[in-house]
Amino acid sequence: MGLAKYVVRRIIYMIPLVIGISIVSFFVMYAAGDPIQIATMGNPSITEAQRQFLRNYYGLNDPIPVQYLRWLDHFIHGDFGMSLYGGKPVNQIIGSLFWETSKLQLFSIILAFIIAIPAGVYSAVKQRSVTDYSVTSVSIFGISMPVFWFGIVLILIFSYHLGLLPSAGAHGAPSLWPVFGIRDPFLDELAHLILPATVLIFAGLAWHVRLLRAGMLEVLRQDYIMAARASGISERKILYKYALKNAITPLITLLGLEIGLMIGGAPVTEFVFSWPGLGRAYVTAVSKLDFPLIMGITMIITIMVLIANLITDLAYAWIDPKVRLE
Amino acid sequence: MADTSKNKESGFSMKRGVSQWAVTWRRFKKHKSGMFGLGMIIALLVIAALHNYIAPYPPRPLPGSFTPLYEGEAGMPPSLKHPFGTTVMGTDVFSEVIHASVYTVYVTFLATVITMLLTIVVGLTAGYLGRHVDEVLMRITEVFLVFPSTLLILVFARIYQLKVSEPFWYIGGISIPVGLTIIIFIVSIFSWAGNARIVRGEVLRLKETEYIQASKSLGASSRWIMLRHILPNVLPQVIVLATLTMASAVLVEAWVSFLGFGDPNTITWGRLLQESFNDLSTTWWAEIFPGLVLFLTVLAFNLVGDGLSDAINPRLRE
Repeated sequence: MGLAKYVVRRIIYMIPLVIGISIVSFFVMYAAGDPIQIATMGNPSITEAQRQFLRNYYGLNDPIPVQYLRWLDHFIHGDFGMSLYGGKPVNQIIGSLFWETSKLQLFSIILAFIIAIPAGVYSAVKQRSVTDYSVTSVSIFGISMPVFWFGIVLILIFSYHLGLLPSAGAHGAPSLWPVFGIRDPFLDELAHLILPATVLIFAGLAWHVRLLRAGMLEVLRQDYIMAARASGISERKILYKYALKNAITPLITLLGLEIGLMIGGAPVTEFVFSWPGLGRAYVTAVSKLDFPLIMGITMIITIMVLIANLITDLAYAWIDPKVRLE
Repeated sequence: MADTSKNKESGFSMKRGVSQWAVTWRRFKKHKSGMFGLGMIIALLVIAALHNYIAPYPPRPLPGSFTPLYEGEAGMPPSLKHPFGTTVMGTDVFSEVIHASVYTVYVTFLATVITMLLTIVVGLTAGYLGRHVDEVLMRITEVFLVFPSTLLILVFARIYQLKVSEPFWYIGGISIPVGLTIIIFIVSIFSWAGNARIVRGEVLRLKETEYIQASKSLGASSRWIMLRHILPNVLPQVIVLATLTMASAVLVEAWVSFLGFGDPNTITWGRLLQESFNDLSTTWWAEIFPGLVLFLTVLAFNLVGDGLSDAINPRLRE
C-alpha cells in the first residue's frame, strides 16, 4: 500500500477516536457541577442574578448535548473558546505556555534517550558485571522514585542548601541573572532548566534502560549475532548496528508515546518547580474547574498522542522492512 | 527442574511432582533483592495492622484540623522524641506516617484487585473468544491507552472531591473513607488497559498449544478451557503484573493527593507531603521522611515484581 494512502487512512480512522474521547471528557466534566458556583464561591457579595448572567454569558444554561455540539463546532474551526478565568481565549493561553513546556520536555526526552542507549547496551553486554548491577539498581530506583519527591530533594540540596540553582520558574528577573558570576539571559534559562530536567531525565531514563537492556539480552542470544561474530565483524559494529537495530523498537514506541504526551507536560514536575507550562496550568484549571481550558489541553494532547502513534508506526516500517503498513 | 511445565503435565505417575508454585518459590528465595522487597512489604503490613500501638501519638481527631499540637512543639527538627520531627502545625510526622500506612495498604490492595479483575476478564475473553469480541474489546482498550489518563484522573478526582458528601462508610464497625475509595476506582479504571493487552497476547499464544487442542478435541467447553487450562497458565504473568500495579497504584494515589486532589477526609502519605510543601524551606523533614517511606514502599513492590518475573521466566535471566 502506498505511504500516502496509508497515512490518509490512518488519519480518517483517528476522527471517530478523537470525537469519542471529546464526548466522554465533555460529558464527564459538565455533569460534574456548576463552574460558576465554584468560581464565585469566594465572593460573598455576588447575587444569584449575577451568577445567572455569567451562566448565560458562557452558555452554561443550555442542555449538555447542545453545549457539546457548540463546542464541537468551535473545535472544528480551531477555537477552544474562552477561559472562565481572566477572560483570555484558551488558544492564547495554550500558545503562551506551549514553548516553555516543549523546551523542558524535549530537552529531557532527548537527553534521556541518548544516555539510555550506551547504558542499556553496556549493561546487557556485561551482564552481571558491577556496571550492570549499578545500572539496573539505579534504574529500579528511578522507576520507584516519586518524581515530586525527587524534585523536592533536589530543591533542598541545590537551591536551599548549596544555593547554586534556582528552585522555581523558567526565567529570573535580570537582577537575578548572575549565574556563577556571569550575567547572561541564556545561562539564566539553562540554570532554571537543570533541576526540573534532571527529575524528568531520571524518571524517563529508568524505563528506557530497562527496556533496552531486556531487548539487547534477547537479541544477543540469536543466531545471526553469532554468525556476525563468526565472520569477524567488529564487536562495536555488531552491537550498535546489528543488535541495537532490533532491540531498539520498544524504545521507539516509548519515545513516540512520550513525545505524544509531551504537551501535557509533567503536571507534577511543573507543579513542584513552579514551571510556567501547560502541565501546571492544567492542574490549576482542574482545581478551579475551568472547563474550556481543561478540554482544550486534553484535546491537544489526544491529537498529539495519535499523531505520535502514527509516526511511531511509520518509523517501525522504516527500521524493520519486515513490518508492513496495512 | 529446569522445565517446570513437565511436572504439571506428567500426570502418569501416581506421586505428584513438586508443584510449579513450589519451584517458583524456591527460585524466588534465591533472589536477594526480591526477598528484601518482600521483607519490606511484610513490615508495612505489620506496621499498618499495629499502627495504634506503634505510633507514639494518636492521629488527628479530624483530618482537616491540626489540634494536636503535641506538647507544644511546632516545627521541631528530628529528635529522639519526634524521630521525623514535627510540622509547623505541631503534628508528629512519625506518628502520622505510621497511621497513614493503613490507607496505603488499602489503596494498594483494592486498586490491584480491581485492576487485575478487569485485566483478566478483558484479556481472557478477548484472547480466547477472538473474532468480533476481540475486535470490540481491543478497540475499547485502545481508547483507554490513548486517553491522557494522568490528566483525566485529576479531573475525575476533583469532581468527586466536590461531590462527596459523607466522609466515611461504616461497614461492620470499620470506617471506609469514601473519597479515597472513589480515587482507587478512578485509578484502577485507567490502569488495566496495558495489562489486558499483555494477558491477551499470552492467551493467544497458549490457545495454539497442543494440550488446549487436545482438551478441545475431547469436547471441553470454552468456559472449562478458559477457567481450568488457560487461567492457571496466565496466572504467573498476572501475578507479576499485579505486583507492578501495586507499585504504580501507591505512586498515583500519592501524586494525586500531592497535587491537592486527594480525599480531604483521609491523611495519606501524599496528603502529608502536600500539607508541608509550602513550608519546605523551614521544615524539610516533614517532606523528606514521608517521601522516603513512600519511595521505599514503591521500591519494595518493584523489587518483588522483578524477583517474581525472574523466578517465573528463568530463561530471561540466563
